[in-house]
Amino acid sequence: MSSFYWLAIVESIVLGLLCGVVGTIVVLRRRAFFTVALTHATFPGGVVAAIGGFSVLLGAGVFSVVLVTVMTAISRVRRQGAQVASGVVLTGGFALGMLLQSLWPSLPVQVDTLLVGSILTVTWGDILAAAVVLVVALLVLLVAGKELLFSSFDPWGFRAAGYREHVMDGVALTLIAATVVVAMPAVGSILAIALIVGPAASAGMLVRRVDRIIPVACLLGVLSGVLGLVASLAWDIAAGGAISLVAALFFVLASAVRSLRKGRTTAQALRTSAEH
Amino acid sequence: MFPSFPEIVQILSLPFMTRSLVTVVVLAVAGALIGVFVNLRNLEFISDGLAHSVFPGLVVGYVVAGTDGVFLGALIAALVASVLLTVVSRRGVGSDAGIAVVLASMFSIGIVIVSRQSGYVSQLEDLLFGRLLTVTDSQVRQIVVVGVIATLLVVATWRAQLFRAFDPQGFRAAGYRELPYDVVLNVAVALVVVAGSQAIGNLLVLALLIVPVAVARLITTHVAWVAPVAAVVSVLCGGVGLLVGYQASVVGGVSPSPSAVVVLVMIVVYLLVLVAYVLGRQVRLWRLSRPAAGPGLTERAEGRSDAQGRSAA
Repeated sequence: MSSFYWLAIVESIVLGLLCGVVGTIVVLRRRAFFTVALTHATFPGGVVAAIGGFSVLLGAGVFSVVLVTVMTAISRVRRQGAQVASGVVLTGGFALGMLLQSLWPSLPVQVDTLLVGSILTVTWGDILAAAVVLVVALLVLLVAGKELLFSSFDPWGFRAAGYREHVMDGVALTLIAATVVVAMPAVGSILAIALIVGPAASAGMLVRRVDRIIPVACLLGVLSGVLGLVASLAWDIAAGGAISLVAALFFVLASAVRSLRKGRTTAQALRTSAEH
Repeated sequence: MFPSFPEIVQILSLPFMTRSLVTVVVLAVAGALIGVFVNLRNLEFISDGLAHSVFPGLVVGYVVAGTDGVFLGALIAALVASVLLTVVSRRGVGSDAGIAVVLASMFSIGIVIVSRQSGYVSQLEDLLFGRLLTVTDSQVRQIVVVGVIATLLVVATWRAQLFRAFDPQGFRAAGYRELPYDVVLNVAVALVVVAGSQAIGNLLVLALLIVPVAVARLITTHVAWVAPVAAVVSVLCGGVGLLVGYQASVVGGVSPSPSAVVVLVMIVVYLLVLVAYVLGRQVRLWRLSRPAAGPGLTERAEGRSDAQGRSAA
């Protein structure tokens, strides 16, 4: 077993934990489309980084700051809204990446590396970046976790209680953007969404209490990463694709468990009402 | 650099340019008409999900039957995905995350299959990015047929779809059932994605559904005008994009991806109109608030009618 394999395992564990934490924020705040738009839109950042010869993380990071600003601006215009903003940024970002890539045909980085990632070639730098974002996300949860939850569930009540909603929104968006960026080297710009949203959405179906969603999501995230990696090596398929398929499989299992439970509670309710 | 009108006619009458132009015009009109409901009902994310879900169909079609199989594979995947996504999105709570999972897993299936093929990267690029300038006659025929069917689906249910978009409760109360109309709309979106995948690219077709209507909503407040304005904007951007791409490769000596240029022209037009709209609004508000120097702030908040009444008095 060679060293790149261990690097990939470590990266998938760190990313699994990070996606469990930040994915829960995405799911609770209903920011999935925003996250998808952001993941697609980091693609031109990767291409620019390849052209300029600097780190993909830097290119994607700069682009994500620009695009979050554009999206926030568009979503505040009347008759446009958040969905239009995400749609415009998503297609525009993707088209920009394609254009740049077609203008520089002899890029050293292949397009598929940017789109679907390549976890087997991650560096210690990539892992370190993901770990830093993970630590920051955990600190944010420790310091402002309660406020973040409050504003996710009841933005009106949050504002009425004297808090500033846009501060929390800014914190959430920054964490999401940072996660998308550090996930890009491993799972690429299109597949990152599976690892971010999948485990958290599954956890939300399995446990009812919010404070248990995050640990379960982290566990599922790590399992998705590691099992996907093993599957990709065993059957020689794309690692990014395998990881997101495992995450999707957990989602299917979780919804099956939920509907089984629902069926049982309905049956119980019927029985008790029949007894009375 | 800028061609004159006779030159434009000449460029566009080159056989391959004519084929690309027909493709772009058909997809632009279909995308604008169907996009009206994507916009009014906030279906942008579901449309993105449909686009990603068509991708494994393209791949499986290609693996099974080569280039000829791509279209059929995409068609089957689109029909499956539109029903699946209609069901997922109707579950309400958490549908946002559900769509994301469907989208990513369908796309991953495509990636996993394509990664087993030889020549993986170039195939992936073709399937994702499209080949606008090399569409064949038979592909143009397929695109026209599918595009027209998609458009007819929406045009035939136009009034009911509008009712559904603006007043879902009234729609139910009037005795309509929502599911068939939702399925029809999602199938129409999926068909546009299928028609556009090979030419414009699997993901960029989405721009034709979203961006022109967003421009039209900034230009006009009349529902009846949104579709025609969007169609005109889309067709013009498509034509200009094709010409820019052509000029760049003939005069500039570079070969930009033509569909990326078409989409970016649309995005630029959108951003210009957006800035003009926001500035125009600011100027109007400023003019309205100017006559009364003291209580200007409250007046601004109360809006236009009050300020007009005051100046009339």
